[in-house]
Amino acid sequence: MPADSRLADRQARFQTLVLPHLDRLSGFARRRTGSIGDAEDVVQDACMRAWGAFDELRDETCVRAWLYRIVRTVLSDSLKKEGRRRQLVSITRLEDAHEAMVGGDPDFAFSEVVGRIDREVLHAALATIPEDFAVAVELHDIDGFKYHEIAEITAVPIGTVMSRISRGRRLLAGAIVESRAAWALGAHAPVDPRVTSLRLRGKGA
Amino acid sequence: MSEFTNTGAFPAVRPDDDAEREARHQVLATLLGAYADGEVPTETASQIDAHLLGCVRCRREFDVHRSIRARLELESIAPATAALRDRIIAGINTTPIALVRASSPDQAGSFRGRVASRSARALAALAVAAVMLTGLMWWRRSHEPASAPVTVVAELSVVLFSEVLDDYRRVTATELPGRSRDLATVRAALPFPVRALVSPELRLLAAWTTDLRGEPAAVLAYRWNDQLILQYVVSEQLLFRPAEVRRAFADGHRLAARSGAQSVIAWPASASGELLVADLSVNALASLRASVNDR
Repeated sequence: MPADSRLADRQARFQTLVLPHLDRLSGFARRRTGSIGDAEDVVQDACMRAWGAFDELRDETCVRAWLYRIVRTVLSDSLKKEGRRRQLVSITRLEDAHEAMVGGDPDFAFSEVVGRIDREVLHAALATIPEDFAVAVELHDIDGFKYHEIAEITAVPIGTVMSRISRGRRLLAGAIVESRAAWALGAHAPVDPRVTSLRLRGKGA
Repeated sequence: MSEFTNTGAFPAVRPDDDAEREARHQVLATLLGAYADGEVPTETASQIDAHLLGCVRCRREFDVHRSIRARLELESIAPATAALRDRIIAGINTTPIALVRASSPDQAGSFRGRVASRSARALAALAVAAVMLTGLMWWRRSHEPASAPVTVVAELSVVLFSEVLDDYRRVTATELPGRSRDLATVRAALPFPVRALVSPELRLLAAWTTDLRGEPAAVLAYRWNDQLILQYVVSEQLLFRPAEVRRAFADGHRLAARSGAQSVIAWPASASGELLVADLSVNALASLRASVNDR
């Protein structure tokens, strides 16, 4: 096959396989970076890396997980370079809030509360829990990956994925309950922004 | 390290042992998420089913997993912008990295060696030619008069001018699609050199790629005395296609057109073509071009 024809074929195949995932990749990157512009930079960089490494994609049915893994790498490089850190709240406090909720008032219907919260509150709550937990929960619940695919994307054992999703949802529940309590007290911020990130680092691995 | 690795059934315990009951709850707390997601083995799922019947706390825990998952599943996904798609398509259309890498394993050992040797000699000859050509271009550019005469033509007589002016109007009617830090990406995406204009009075605001007459082009946006200036960088093949353009350049002129409040001016660069567009007169654009360098 002539080189021009091979190149055109490769470009067409890349576009067919990759472009349908841009929306979700951008959404994932946006939740990580907090800005549309930064998220697009990340996705563009990831797509160009994917184009350069297109030969390494052996199984086209795995393209989505493969792309997410590249986006994760770009995000990781970007965070290292820019030294950005998310503001986290005390993990112990969120766990306590969750425990108090499941062991407390039997009339409290968490499913109704979480069903009514809006997008901003949900995203603010996700932003307060450690990155590794938030990523695992989002990859499963928003992006629809199975546990074994998340293990591939995040390069951790499947048992760790199971643990991160379970603990991540419990922390998220704690953050939602806290934000609800903060509103009841008339606070402006949905969650307490006190940072105890030093205590939290290393717990997500 | 994994926080939990036992994906099998949780251990059987005596129901009257409080410590072990608590331990069982702790194991379940980790398993309930996977149970809600249908990710535990059947045997474990059956045991959790039985446990949930008699344990209010675990039922509430299970409800937490189920309701958070249900809420997150409702999250809508905003579509990626058209500009992002365009930049990616332009990037892959002009960066054939994978093809170059893919073609090398097809060649056999000794044949590969001969080809490599011939290729090395050809590349060396090309490199010498490129250095000579670059030197010649540099000499010509450095000796080009700063304020070359300008030939003004009707906008519609050069289709490229019409497209550039239309693109300028479209872009300036909305938010600029790129940012200044995109310049490196734009340069990497295009097969011809993209040189930014340099002047103390010009500040680069944004860079992005676009299509002109079906071919990729770079667009660099500058602020100049509170005026927006767009620089379009195109391939020399595209710029030299119209006869009017070739005639003007052969006479050492720049070519310009005026349309309403906007003007466009074009000139040849060493291995590309460049155009400036702004809400300025032809003379003002020509003066601006004469006052800047590029890099």
